[in-house]
Amino acid sequence: MNGLPIRKFLLSPTILFIAVLISLTICAAHLSHAQLVPPAPAAASVHITEGPAIESDKDGLAIIRWTTNNPGGSAEHFGVVHYGTDAAQLNQTAKNHIQLNQSHPETVFRVRVDGLKPGTTYYYTVGSMGGTGKVDPVKSEVYHFTTP
Amino acid sequence: MRQTRLIALAAAFATVAAAMTFAHHIVHGQSQPPTTIYNPYPTGILPSNITPELARVLREVNTIEAEAIVQWHAIPPPVVTGNPPTLQNTGVALTEILGKLMNFDRTISPFNNYACASCHMPYAAYSGPIPQVNLTMIAYPGSVHFRANKRTAQRYTYASYFPPLQYDAVQGLFFGGNFWDSRATGYLLRSPDAEQAQGPPVDPGEMGNPDTACITYKLSLAPYRPLFEQVWGAGSFDITWPANTAQICATPNGASVFNGNPTPVALSPGDRILSNNDYDHWAQSLNAFEHSESVSPFTSKFDAFLAGTYTMTANEAAGYALFNGRGNCNSCHLDGRSTAPSPSVKHGGSGTGGKDTGTTADVTPYFTCFGSANEGLPKNPRVAFYYETTPDFFGFTPNPGGFTYTDFGLGTFLRSGFGSAPNPNSSWRQFASTVDGQMQVMTARNVALTPPSCPTTEAPGPYFQKEFFHNGYIKSLKQLVHFYNTRDLYRNAVESGNCPAGTTEKVNCWPEPEVPQNIDMTTGNLGLTDVEEDQIVAFLQTLSDGFTTPYPDINTYTGACMTGGTAATQGNSTIIPADLLRQFQQMQR
Repeated sequence: MNGLPIRKFLLSPTILFIAVLISLTICAAHLSHAQLVPPAPAAASVHITEGPAIESDKDGLAIIRWTTNNPGGSAEHFGVVHYGTDAAQLNQTAKNHIQLNQSHPETVFRVRVDGLKPGTTYYYTVGSMGGTGKVDPVKSEVYHFTTP
Repeated sequence: MRQTRLIALAAAFATVAAAMTFAHHIVHGQSQPPTTIYNPYPTGILPSNITPELARVLREVNTIEAEAIVQWHAIPPPVVTGNPPTLQNTGVALTEILGKLMNFDRTISPFNNYACASCHMPYAAYSGPIPQVNLTMIAYPGSVHFRANKRTAQRYTYASYFPPLQYDAVQGLFFGGNFWDSRATGYLLRSPDAEQAQGPPVDPGEMGNPDTACITYKLSLAPYRPLFEQVWGAGSFDITWPANTAQICATPNGASVFNGNPTPVALSPGDRILSNNDYDHWAQSLNAFEHSESVSPFTSKFDAFLAGTYTMTANEAAGYALFNGRGNCNSCHLDGRSTAPSPSVKHGGSGTGGKDTGTTADVTPYFTCFGSANEGLPKNPRVAFYYETTPDFFGFTPNPGGFTYTDFGLGTFLRSGFGSAPNPNSSWRQFASTVDGQMQVMTARNVALTPPSCPTTEAPGPYFQKEFFHNGYIKSLKQLVHFYNTRDLYRNAVESGNCPAGTTEKVNCWPEPEVPQNIDMTTGNLGLTDVEEDQIVAFLQTLSDGFTTPYPDINTYTGACMTGGTAATQGNSTIIPADLLRQFQQMQR
């Protein structure tokens, strides 16, 4: 700075030009998405407040349901279930879209797990992630259910 | 040499045959529809009163067109001034009235029998105007009677507010576009609504012109041509039209004589550019009309409520609370209330939010997130498209696959697949499988708008039969809310018409989804009571325009109302029984 007073530096044409450029860039970015709801701030921690439970189980399709505090982040979310017939190998995944409601304190996740065999015990964990795959900081224990 | 002569001879024969085909329905320059009606449908698919109802709509179209001509002539001429030149004072009004005139102009179609408004009349919020079509065949008959496509006619209202289609990398979701499958992306005109207006005029199942130049040609003959030239410039129609233009434009798209050629009107390169520009202006004029207060005026009870001039009834208020609360409707049908509170400290967040503060963030909310979702609608065997497996008089077969056709919506568009349109952005293609089954989240505004003479969508009425979602499977708002509420509670692994004995379809039996992938599970088992469902319906009815100011042209309906029955089972008498459906399917094998 060679002793240039800070006020003079901030008002210098170069700095003003850069500031205008940055402002325009930010405005343009916002305008291009002006119609969309910006993501809510992500929750510091996400925990399950209810469930998971088997909402229904018939015709080879189970719906698993659980509730967490609102994880925030992108409105577009996925409930994710990792499952399998061996508790140590939950090597199958099912996921479904959930649209977060930013004004709700809690979020209900529901996932369809399809292609299940009758009379079979399945083990599973549940979790969630944002629209582009950013995993929410929530962990569940391993649960199980047996199909009819 | 001999081979060349044979080819020339064959070409001559083909030309004569084509000319004979044209001559079949060209009488002194006036296009006439073929006397052979295309009816590949089993008995009961077409409404019994389809012909008089189409005639009734055309009479109403003529009435509004005549009114629009009077409105046009009442507008003072503009002052052209400024640089760039601007139609000072009345430029907006002139552009909007030009769009209105176009919307109600039946002469744009090959047989002068089909205006844009034929599927989009004001008393249905610019959606389907024939109750019996909404009840039975779902899509509207095109200019060629009775070709039809596969989806319901979407409401114009607020469609112009959708942004150009974009993939949002933060949300991992597509937003914007027009049409159920978002194929009107707005990539060129930057208005999906305008680009939507360029689809039906050349869609074989709708207006069905064989070439976009035909629209330009017919505009050049329209009584409002001076208005077009006033708005878009003198010289707009300085095009040298080939002698056979009228003949070509009186032959519907898909006709075998065109052999798939999308530009059978042989224009010079310069005239083609001029015609394309005119077709863009056609689209932009219609966009101006659809964006105007004549179509999208924000005059509902809800708008008055936001302005503090209307107090909701107890039922409406309860419905609104459910719409925002347990119903979770506003997670997609954004109501403009509340900003984005962070999760409360109690629930792991850092903010004090988490509660709906009731703050209105938007004074004219659109009641859509502009996104798309697969709500898991069952396949609707009533859709006429499934039966169009044989060629019509012109040699066009709308749906060779018959019942094997599955409507993947946005996914099909991203693949540039059958029944959609070319995808103009190859980088979107990779997301196709993640959006299979997704359809546009329409605005909830005007979902309940009906003609005043039939003041509700709900049985026992007197009611105006509408159709809901992309395939019209749902016939009342009660059913619509009940579907969101109980889709998964009453799910059955059956197709429509085959619910187990002791159950009633749409009441306590929902057939399996047409597309099981990518289903949105935000709703499907909401735990709402019957009364709460009715309260949400009452709230949806507050979203109809025309409360603070009469909705333009809403009193033009001259048809009959329906009466009787209940909203819960409305339209169930038209469900095709499973055994009959199997017969129909076997007939295609």
